[in-house]
Amino acid sequence: MTLVHELRSALPDVAVRDPSELGGPIWPGMTPEFVASPSSTEDVSRLLVWAAQEDLGVLAVASGSHADPVSDGRFVALDTSLLSGIEEYEPADLTITAGAGTRFATVDDALRENGQWAPFDPPAARDRSMGGLVSEAAHGSLWAGYGALKNHVLGATVVTGDGRVLRLGGKVVKNVAGYDLLRSVVGGRGRLCVLTSVCLRAFPLPPQERVLMISAASVAELIDSALAVGTAPVLPVSIVVAGPLEALDGRAALVVRLHGAESTVDADQAILETHVGTSFDRLTEASDGAARILSQLQDLGAVEDRCVEVSVLPSQLSGVVSAAADVGLGPMVVDSYAGRIRIGGSDLGVDPVGTLREAAEQAGGALRIVRWGRADFPTGTPQSMATAMLSERLESIFDPGGVLWPARS
Amino acid sequence: MATPRELTISSVMTQTLTPTIADRLRAIVGQNHVITHPDRLVAYESDGLTAYRVVPRAVVLPETTEQVSRVLAVLHGEGIDVVPRGAGTGLSGGALPTPDGVIVGTARMNRILSIDEQDRLATAQPGVINARLTEATAPYGLYYAPDPSSQSACTLGGNVAENSGGPHCLKYGVTSRYVTGLTVVLADGEVVRFGGAGTEAVPSLDLVGLFIGSEGCFGIATEIEVRLLPAPEGVRTLLGIFDTMEAAGRAVTDIMASGLMPAAVEIVDHATIVAVEASVFAAGYPIDAGAALVIEFDGTEAGLDDDADRAEQCCVAADAREVRRATSEEERLGLWKGRKKAFGAMGRIAPDLLVQDATVPRTRLPEVLARITEIGQEYDLKIANVFHAGDGNLHPNILFDRQNADELDRVEKASREIMSLCVSVGGTITGEHGVGVDKRGYMPLVHNEVELEMLRRARWVFDPNGNLNPGKVLP
Ligand SMILES: Cc1cc2nc3c(=O)[nH]c(=O)nc-3n(C[C@H](O)[C@H](O)[C@H](O)COP(=O)(O)OP(=O)(O)OC[C@H]3O[C@@H](n4cnc5c(N)ncnc54)[C@H](O)[C@@H]3O)c2cc1C
Repeated sequence: MTLVHELRSALPDVAVRDPSELGGPIWPGMTPEFVASPSSTEDVSRLLVWAAQEDLGVLAVASGSHADPVSDGRFVALDTSLLSGIEEYEPADLTITAGAGTRFATVDDALRENGQWAPFDPPAARDRSMGGLVSEAAHGSLWAGYGALKNHVLGATVVTGDGRVLRLGGKVVKNVAGYDLLRSVVGGRGRLCVLTSVCLRAFPLPPQERVLMISAASVAELIDSALAVGTAPVLPVSIVVAGPLEALDGRAALVVRLHGAESTVDADQAILETHVGTSFDRLTEASDGAARILSQLQDLGAVEDRCVEVSVLPSQLSGVVSAAADVGLGPMVVDSYAGRIRIGGSDLGVDPVGTLREAAEQAGGALRIVRWGRADFPTGTPQSMATAMLSERLESIFDPGGVLWPARS
Repeated sequence: MATPRELTISSVMTQTLTPTIADRLRAIVGQNHVITHPDRLVAYESDGLTAYRVVPRAVVLPETTEQVSRVLAVLHGEGIDVVPRGAGTGLSGGALPTPDGVIVGTARMNRILSIDEQDRLATAQPGVINARLTEATAPYGLYYAPDPSSQSACTLGGNVAENSGGPHCLKYGVTSRYVTGLTVVLADGEVVRFGGAGTEAVPSLDLVGLFIGSEGCFGIATEIEVRLLPAPEGVRTLLGIFDTMEAAGRAVTDIMASGLMPAAVEIVDHATIVAVEASVFAAGYPIDAGAALVIEFDGTEAGLDDDADRAEQCCVAADAREVRRATSEEERLGLWKGRKKAFGAMGRIAPDLLVQDATVPRTRLPEVLARITEIGQEYDLKIANVFHAGDGNLHPNILFDRQNADELDRVEKASREIMSLCVSVGGTITGEHGVGVDKRGYMPLVHNEVELEMLRRARWVFDPNGNLNPGKVLP
């Protein structure tokens, strides 16, 4: 009996497909044995137990944007797209729970219909699944005003590598009774468990969003202004420098977003302009190319075949951005409040990335490979021995048999 | 669950520390910083939850990470349990000593190590008092957002261990949002560094996030790096007086649904108002009011009056009897007084006070409060409610006398019923005070055996021998 037949007889409710039906490889050069699409947490659990018995790895995929480079081995793709739909939404409580395979767009639309939103805007957010966003702790530019994604995830249902179902957190804003295991799952990149359901905190939509911009020939020229914005007495919700932007004919832009009532954002803008010593252009829906500028800003670099991310203290950004420019790396997006730089491009080279990593580490920061393909990928900054040891122990309690795929890399 | 009586001082024999071990510890931290004399140890017999009391074997007060590391290595080698302690304001018995354990206190680790104005970060030792960090960063126009009501006494280390919140966490979020890095000494003395601003790209699991809220069971935090915020330009404070709690609850729901983002929304109930007004903390709240609602907005001056007007309209629409608005800092403190001094006032009308803590979905507040009143009546107990209404975090405060065994028994039964009630409506057994020793018995209300076992294993990850703060958190 083939593996697929075995699975079909063991788990008749789980849909199984040939990988070719997925519409492209999950990542270059890697092909799963087959794609299984469970539609319940219980089936996810059964599938994991079955895979362990068959000595197969399991990799959860939803939108297929999974990125970590992995090693060889036989594995099953666990497609979460049937774990989908809004499970509970009580607008007055400002919480929403949805299956991990639910596209973020579905959640976002439901919230916006009720004058609410989830304040994060990672690249290509609307097309990504809730589980994917959470397991990557994907963040966007709203970090300054609303904090990291981890602050918005209130609870999750997860299945450990050996099939145990855990409810972590809950559906109220302050909800940890016992150790906060949810924190290690957010951003765990699927190393610990498979997410099947996620509860998010919602926020009322801000009464006004004001988008301010200054442009210049290069990203490097705008860093000082961005840092000045970040030390103003008012804190914008987002401070991002990006470039080169097609929408600006290859120039770079510093874009600052303010949220609040009309009178508040007027005053905030005035305070910022005085503090920075420059006046900003206002981007409105009517402005030329505003929508394109904003969407490029959100996605720049992230949708390319190769993408790396650097973190440093904001005060160290100038040096690292110059180092990137010196070795010809770009295009890039810099969240100057968070001290993060994302650089993407199909032609990123191993050596320039190595140089950038050195510059980042010398400045006390780090570099991570977000996406690279299979061949010759450069290495990012490793974690310390001590945290690696603790992480390994954590992995061992979540996934004792090492079934979850990326743990084997 | 261990009942308070099982753990009171009279029923537990404390072992003394052998002179050799005491001497080794003194060699590390200095002669005067190892306390073994019974008269002095009594000061450490409980935290803010006074129903539980155990005298520790000894108290060690290190000053640096290195000293903590060496102290823990000695105690680990001797197989002696360690209970970390900050200021002892915890309300779940987290810093309660074990009879054969040693307290490692952070009182001398009270230095702010750096303030980085440009990157808006500060690094402090764990014994720094929460409010002192804001005082120290004020000259830079910055402040530290998490503001537990105990902030003039509690320490940053305790805040990290409990993931503490506070009135203004409605808008700004709790401790975990602000801690960017930690230096931690593990049970065997190993010093590890978790996170750190600027190192987010290191592909590690979120060990900072996991450590926060670990209630002293995973390690001792010895350096804490936190993010600071710019101090808001202005503030507006309102006090709504309502005939009924239900009306105050409607006002909260309307305010939150209107798109306003208040910094704080706090409620005190009738019983609390009566207690406060009868005390030296009298704040001028009408004693026949059903509830008082404190609402605060902060941020850029320009928009604040509009926000306050809209919140006032919500109160009026919910039949507020009266809405007061502070026009000076003095008046603002006056409006807050009834909320801030509530615990103090209650402490004066009963020998003991159990400050309970639970969270429910905000929309379930009215029914939960009504049922808590009934539970109080059924057990013949006085229960006064003070709570962070904006995020559904309740503090039902039970007044009692621990010398009265029958009353103590009723307190335990009423507490359990309140916890079951909160869980049954989709809430949980603690919002910000932690599980400690007090709520271990309620853990099965929120976690099944598989989840509890997972929590035990999580503890093993950090402390395989289970020497750090044993008997806490897990049933
Ligand atoms: C009047 C009053 C009002 C309060 N209001 C609030 C409030 O608004 N919000 C809120 O969240 N809490 C509140 N609390 C509870 C309490 O103040 C907090 O839990 C506080 O964080 C405890 O800090 P502490 O320094 O007193 O810690 P302790 O009570 O000494 O210890 C608390 C826990 O932390 C552990 N611990 C202490 N230091 C360390 C360290 N360096 N490393 C590892 N573990 C450590 C201890 O082992 C223990 O488990 C209030 C308490 C009182 C008495």
